Amino acid sequence: MATPNQPNRIANKGLIDRRAPLRFTFDGETYHGFEGDTLASALLANGVTLTGRSFKYHRPRGILSAGSEEPNALVELRSGAHREPNTRATMIELYQGLEAQSQNRWPSLKYDLLSINGLLSPVFVAGFYYKTFMWPASFWEKLYEPLIRRAAGLGRAAEAADPDTYEKCSAFCDVLIIGAGPAGLSAALAAGRSGARVILVDENFALGGRLLGDEVKLDGLSGLDWVRQTAAELRTLPEVRVLLRTTLTGAYDSGTFSAIERVADHVPKPAPHTPRQRLWRIVAQRTIVATGATERPIVFGNNDLPGVMLASAVRIYINRFGVTPGRNAVVFTTNDDGARTAIDLHAAGARVAAIVDARPDPSAAVRKIAEATGARLISGVVTDAQGRLAVSGARIRPYNGSAIELPCDLIAVSGGFNPNVQIATHLNGKAKWDNALAAFVPGDVPKGMTVIGAAAGSFALSRCLTEGARWGASAATSTGYPADVPYVPTVADTGYDIVPLWRVKEAKHKAFIDFQNDVTSDDIALAEREGYRSVEHVKRYTTLGMATDQGRIGNVIGLAILAEITGKTISETGSTSARPPYTPVAMGALAGHHRGKYFKPTRLPPSYDWAKEKGAVFVETGLWLRPQYFPVPGESDWLETVNREVKTTREKVGVCDVSTLGKIEVHGNDAATLLDRVYINAFSSLPVGRARYGVMLRDDGLVMDDGTCARFAPDRFFMTTTTANAVKVMQHLEFCHQWLWPALDAQMMSATDQWAQYSVAGPRARDLLAKIVDPPFDISNAAFPYMAIAELTVCSGIKSRLYRLSFSGELAYEIGVPARFGDALMRRLMEAGAEYGAIPYGTEALGVMRIEKGHVGGNEINGTTTAADLGLGKMMSAKKDYIGRVLAGREGLADSKRPSLVGIRPVNRAARLRAGAHFLEKDAAATAANDHGYLTSVAFSPMAGHWIGLGLLQDGPQRHGEIIRAYDPVRGGDTLVEVVAPCFIDTEGVRLRV
Amino acid sequence: MSNTKLEPRSALDSAKSASRSHVEIKVLDGISVVWIAARKGQTAALVARVNELYGVSLTLNPRLASSTGGIEFLGIAPDQWLAIAPAKDSHDPASKLAGQLQGLASIADQTDARTLIRVSGAKARDTLSKGLAIDLHPRALPEGAVAVTHAAHIGVILWRPIGSDSFMLACSRSYSDSFWHWLTEAAAEHGLAVS
Repeated sequence: MATPNQPNRIANKGLIDRRAPLRFTFDGETYHGFEGDTLASALLANGVTLTGRSFKYHRPRGILSAGSEEPNALVELRSGAHREPNTRATMIELYQGLEAQSQNRWPSLKYDLLSINGLLSPVFVAGFYYKTFMWPASFWEKLYEPLIRRAAGLGRAAEAADPDTYEKCSAFCDVLIIGAGPAGLSAALAAGRSGARVILVDENFALGGRLLGDEVKLDGLSGLDWVRQTAAELRTLPEVRVLLRTTLTGAYDSGTFSAIERVADHVPKPAPHTPRQRLWRIVAQRTIVATGATERPIVFGNNDLPGVMLASAVRIYINRFGVTPGRNAVVFTTNDDGARTAIDLHAAGARVAAIVDARPDPSAAVRKIAEATGARLISGVVTDAQGRLAVSGARIRPYNGSAIELPCDLIAVSGGFNPNVQIATHLNGKAKWDNALAAFVPGDVPKGMTVIGAAAGSFALSRCLTEGARWGASAATSTGYPADVPYVPTVADTGYDIVPLWRVKEAKHKAFIDFQNDVTSDDIALAEREGYRSVEHVKRYTTLGMATDQGRIGNVIGLAILAEITGKTISETGSTSARPPYTPVAMGALAGHHRGKYFKPTRLPPSYDWAKEKGAVFVETGLWLRPQYFPVPGESDWLETVNREVKTTREKVGVCDVSTLGKIEVHGNDAATLLDRVYINAFSSLPVGRARYGVMLRDDGLVMDDGTCARFAPDRFFMTTTTANAVKVMQHLEFCHQWLWPALDAQMMSATDQWAQYSVAGPRARDLLAKIVDPPFDISNAAFPYMAIAELTVCSGIKSRLYRLSFSGELAYEIGVPARFGDALMRRLMEAGAEYGAIPYGTEALGVMRIEKGHVGGNEINGTTTAADLGLGKMMSAKKDYIGRVLAGREGLADSKRPSLVGIRPVNRAARLRAGAHFLEKDAAATAANDHGYLTSVAFSPMAGHWIGLGLLQDGPQRHGEIIRAYDPVRGGDTLVEVVAPCFIDTEGVRLRV
Repeated sequence: MSNTKLEPRSALDSAKSASRSHVEIKVLDGISVVWIAARKGQTAALVARVNELYGVSLTLNPRLASSTGGIEFLGIAPDQWLAIAPAKDSHDPASKLAGQLQGLASIADQTDARTLIRVSGAKARDTLSKGLAIDLHPRALPEGAVAVTHAAHIGVILWRPIGSDSFMLACSRSYSDSFWHWLTEAAAEHGLAVS
């Protein structure tokens, strides 16, 4: 008896919970289903067969399959920001309140105006976009592409950001088993009992695979009872992990696999703190592929009409979901398995009008089935399905008579089964053609992988179970967990006996191969006629197999038809490669936790919290978030703030967090030797208690980085690098030591995060620090001159390091304390400095002051400049060898005409400079041939009262005083500028030594 | 002014706690981390000296820890260890070790460079597997194992303390905030307690 409102529900059948009814909507209509239903089974239970419109021709489409291969029943799930397009109704578990919409139709599913594309179908054949819309070219972007995109398409992505979360996870195991059908379950039991770590994954939400869809007995137990019993035992094995709703999407090198777990797709909203999906990276020593097989259709006219369904799917809907997809069926088959669908239909109370057996001689098994079900047995083919929005009949041509028409509402089709070999071929293994099975079976498989059961072409249930038991035990044993081959229940196998039929040539109507991409058998013929005869060319020309089902429905049929047309065997024709992912993967799952602000980690300097309290504006520099400037009330823009910070620092004292600079401890008796070899200048001559500025080159002679290096003991140096290159320099040192000069006694450790380090700069810097350092430390100029360094204590006993270094050109120090005291030290410095007018300054003021002083920064050390280009040529020691020395002497790099560092100021002092502007001689035309270099860094100098810049100018040092053009076509700038020495303040360097 | 002590501050001072818990996360303050790298050719002498001083045999396998109860030595690279020592601010294990191992090893204080976090509870392994790409199963990572690896794009040193069913993680201080965000998100599903 049918359930009220679910006319196609069969009483007392299926793994659905009839005590748990669920309400859902499809295209705004309310329906009811049960827990355990998929959206597809619930729609079928309600008699809904039309679920969408096709991609190109907008043909009405229904539910073809009961699995992840579904090409037709793609729907938009949920609404608003949660809307997800192209979800397969066959994979969506029903939940209370589920909302789904059909896609690719306008204005409604039943009356889709764009189905006129079907009438225009001669225009939309294979390669149509290469031909039809080629001329005129200017029409493509404005007219053709938008038109095609509107007409040919699938669902709509949500417009708002995805509110759900995703995550990634790693798992390791001895034995990975892919697929939890009879073969996979049997393997899991065999491997799991040994104590080996086993992971069993299945894309479905229930264990069992085909055991849930077919009526079978295992030692007298029903398939379902055997699955339950097996699952119960697996639960008792602590090292067995079962991942349901988890699709294994790809095989990668060295036993690594990707899988998508749909953690919360089956509930209205994920539970708090639960991701919607989880991307697994699974690493396995041994892998058992038990992915089963996928039934393929037969290509006949209108074979895409709702009501044409794969025979195995019909059985799954009947047995697993208690739904009969039709009342009056025609079964069209090329094998015994398809014919058995008639038995289940009959048992479910449906009428089987005919079994159409395409084989030359229907087998004895089929004759028996026909007799038992009262079906008319026709040796022949279905040429066309009839009906407009759903099947209303079948046009059948018997081999021994004239065509007949039989009314029906369901055509159950079996063109045979394709083993799911995708995972086994992801690493380039080629599947091989098996003539007896008329299917591709796995060929060479990756090391450590075994393919079993239907995936290996072993369609008989007994073989699935025995192969699982045998290979599960063998896999576990080979990983060090000896396993016995377990007892396998007895089953009665049924036959297969296929004689393949790929297409029905007498079809009157369009006959589809690839449903999702609307590829017909005529398209294959057309491609062949136009010269696309390689299977790879046919794929790309027709888009066969390029839809989201990756050709699981149509590929083999397509290439079999190609083989037929070209007169080759299928082996000669070959197959295209399956590539990951096996089923579509949401971008969100690939991103996982790393989205928005967390796309990359953020590094926070020690004074971050304090700077935030002070209202600092932050800037991202690499991963670091650094204070850019510290606006105070009344300041109207950043430039006003930065000008104040620069002036106050130069006139009083400013404090800047420079903890982000790379810091490296370089120790060992040969530390000085190592430094001599990586810096262009000497460090072995650096006295203890002093620091020195150093420049490093890359192998190719270009500048890699600069910074200071301090010597605390003969065998103990403390190197600083730029913020940007900290990691690169550390790697470089490790490479030099481990690979080039392993004999040196040198040890390196990054200390960047160990020290909070603040620059204290300005005429009152010493006064301020005198209040910080603990007595008896003497901070006077005489005792602690420019470039002196010391280990000391500050603020009553805090371990500290003090360096008299200046980047600003002022009297300046860098003070370091262990990072946990960084916050407190910044507060203390500001308190202690209040009486001197101390202010904090950010990276902007830092940049202005370094440009005023002509110090090079990242804009100049940009991977194209030599030390000489930067005015640092004199530092290049002639007394020692160092990395980059030889290649820095290359003709092109040693050329004195190379663009090198100059200062730039506008002739009209009110003019603004723009970094990136190119230098031209005053009267030269603005052509690339006349290019003399460019402005690398610019700043408004509050000290000079106008814009200033640094640039790289051909023959620069010889051109001080020359007037040239700074030409900036991008921003419309063309300014006369004067070339000057690259230093705008205190050219003698007096201030930093006072 | 300079006679008032500076107050230390953890990189995760503002971490808040949650109620139900299958994962416990604890930020460990007051633990010293000292880098020890053998000088060229001094490995054997260093091992002997440490054994004599602390009664522990430094492992030459950089994936193992050895412990004396008080101080733990993690092998983090060939001939390099991190000494993990519970210490009050007034003690300075780095200076002490520098004195004791003079000439045999290079020493640098890393206490402030690392944030130490202990993760324990029934779901600790599941939580960490959301960011660490290494095998955390006790068969692969038994007590005493050390891994220099990364989690959620952040470099970490992970070890299983001897005699404890927990995981210790050391991440660079400046990354703590991002690391904490990932860790608490990863643990939230299982319910976490922060102490």
